[in-house]
Amino acid sequence: MSLLDGWWDDFFFGLLTVLQVFCIALVIAVVCGLLGASAKLSNSRLLRGIAQAYTIVFRGAPELLVLLLFYFGMAITLTWFVQVFDPSVKFIDLPPFWAGSIAIGLIVGAYMTETFRGAFLGVDRGQVEAARALSLKRHQIFRYVRFPQMWRLALPNFGNHMLSIMKDTALVSIIGLEEILFVAKMANSIIHRPFLLYMTVALIYLAVTTVITSVVAWLELRANRHLRGAR
Amino acid sequence: MNFDVSLIATSLPKILHGLGLTLNLLVVSTLIGLVLAVGILLMRLSKRAWLVWPAKAYIYFFRGTPLLVQLFVIYHGLPQFGFIRHSILWPILREPYWCSVIALSLNTAAYVSEILRGGVLGVDKGFVEAGKALGLSKFQRASRITAPLAVRLALPAYGNEIVSMLKSTALASTVTLMEMTGVARTIVADTFAPYEIFIAATIIYLVLVWIIQTGFSMIETYANRHARRT
Amino acid sequence: MTDIIVLEKMNKFYGTYHALKDVDLTIAKGEKVVVCGPSGSGKSTMIRCINRLEEHNSGRILVGGEELTDDEKKIDLVRREVGMVFQSFNLFPHMTVLENLTLAPRLVRRMPTPEAEAIAMKYLNRVRIPDQAHKYPSQLSGGQQQRVAIARALCMNPEVMLFDEPTSALDPEMISEVLDVMTDLAREGMTMVCVTHEMGFARSVADRIVFMDRGEIVEVSTPAEFFAAPKSERARTFLGQILAH
Repeated sequence: MSLLDGWWDDFFFGLLTVLQVFCIALVIAVVCGLLGASAKLSNSRLLRGIAQAYTIVFRGAPELLVLLLFYFGMAITLTWFVQVFDPSVKFIDLPPFWAGSIAIGLIVGAYMTETFRGAFLGVDRGQVEAARALSLKRHQIFRYVRFPQMWRLALPNFGNHMLSIMKDTALVSIIGLEEILFVAKMANSIIHRPFLLYMTVALIYLAVTTVITSVVAWLELRANRHLRGAR
Repeated sequence: MNFDVSLIATSLPKILHGLGLTLNLLVVSTLIGLVLAVGILLMRLSKRAWLVWPAKAYIYFFRGTPLLVQLFVIYHGLPQFGFIRHSILWPILREPYWCSVIALSLNTAAYVSEILRGGVLGVDKGFVEAGKALGLSKFQRASRITAPLAVRLALPAYGNEIVSMLKSTALASTVTLMEMTGVARTIVADTFAPYEIFIAATIIYLVLVWIIQTGFSMIETYANRHARRT
Repeated sequence: MTDIIVLEKMNKFYGTYHALKDVDLTIAKGEKVVVCGPSGSGKSTMIRCINRLEEHNSGRILVGGEELTDDEKKIDLVRREVGMVFQSFNLFPHMTVLENLTLAPRLVRRMPTPEAEAIAMKYLNRVRIPDQAHKYPSQLSGGQQQRVAIARALCMNPEVMLFDEPTSALDPEMISEVLDVMTDLAREGMTMVCVTHEMGFARSVADRIVFMDRGEIVEVSTPAEFFAAPKSERARTFLGQILAH
């Protein structure tokens, strides 16, 4: 393991990069998920159609493909766009960090759409009816009755989506992002210990996913605390 | 920027050259993975701690790390060891194809064993008790009552896992395999037309996903024919 | 009369909770015993110990002279001779009625299929639903499903039939069809142990009524004695509550 001395710094910064991608992708995914779910639940056929197309495409296409499409596609689009204003520019690309974060966010956002939609529909109708009978307004019903219960229903799947985002970040190394897998590749060309390096990457990911799983488990306990023990 | 719609159409057949390998990877890994998954499930459900522990550790590792990293450990990492390079397995382990199959199989086995476990846990205890009360042996209860019901419960999740596997085959392109994504990447490198080519590839994948989902829908309907929809 | 079931100083704990306390009971061949009492009294637990769906912690249980222990073979032998009908029927949902009935005879008694099917049809006739043989449980009403469950248990030709609140999960209009079948069974001489709240059935069919409360057998009497003048305070309270409506 002393072989890795000198590389720990790079791994550390690679990990920070991974965590940053994770956070940005997570925010994008949640936003897309909420928008998608409300579109799917809306009365507008157009919105439902768009949301349906979104979930079908982004859940059906391989993550790597979406990532490559987004990265190279955006490069072409941006280059063309900037060349309109400044023809001397040869090539501009969206930095891998952003391309990766946005692409992953869009992909997992499609899964979150389904999760949020399912959670919304899963709230006991009887409770909503009771709230209406008590003459609560729609937004009040959402805030006090629907949302707290949706959260509980969505939590397990939400946890899985977070794990997906985490693991998908490894793919961004393919388009050149200098995160831990990329660091391992570089280090390998110098110290030639691929198994050691890649297992280290695996274990770092394992550590992070373990943390996420524990946090989600704790959140689930909290969310379900008033459901236990009614005899 | 010119977006050439016809390029989408003309690239489709070229990308389809990779379809054979994509399906090959999918089918072989699914089958091997399923066999492994049943083994791991039995270990996981066993009463003997020395069987449960390795199964749990296996599942923990393969579900907690990215498939891409697992692939790299196997393809790039194993050659680090002399004893592997000189073993009789070397002709297999140096091949990107077999490394991809191994990585995909090991990975899916972890997920499928948990899916099957979910099915087993979902079987109503009452049915098993009725089996006990009738005098059926443990093996008879497991094979005639638990297993058939568990499989039915697991079908939807298993269908999703197969779709997931299909998408995972794309990662084989990172270790030089020319399945569909690999072919697409090569074409893009030549033509500098990422949108058209990758969209074409996406269309093919979406069609395959649709086929898998429809197939599973039919299987699920058939398997649940005993349950009336009230 | 031979004693077919003997419970001797039986105790059962769930962790620290003492579910059954020093239960002593003998049931003779051909006897019909109704077990009643408030919920949580241990009635279901007691009969589930008889076919080892629950394990007793101390004391002895003898079925047909064989003592129930951890010995798997003994347990299997006992289960062949003891039939059980559950509150939630527990018919195998993925098998037809006929398949439900023939499964155990074929697998456990190794009966050839035609013979098993003949026996199955005989019992389906007994419970008056021969025409449902090829339906799936989900296609039958609750009362029909429970009658199938009774037939399924009978197909193994048991010495004793245990009933764990067989009508509690049924809609009121279906209770009598099941009780009728149970009454017929009683008249034909089957040894029966029934946990039930159906006091009318108890009064007309039972040879003895066992009243349980909080894990103990409080009172054992004939129906006449029990309903007219219960000996214990707790039994009086229970009857007051249950017969009030």
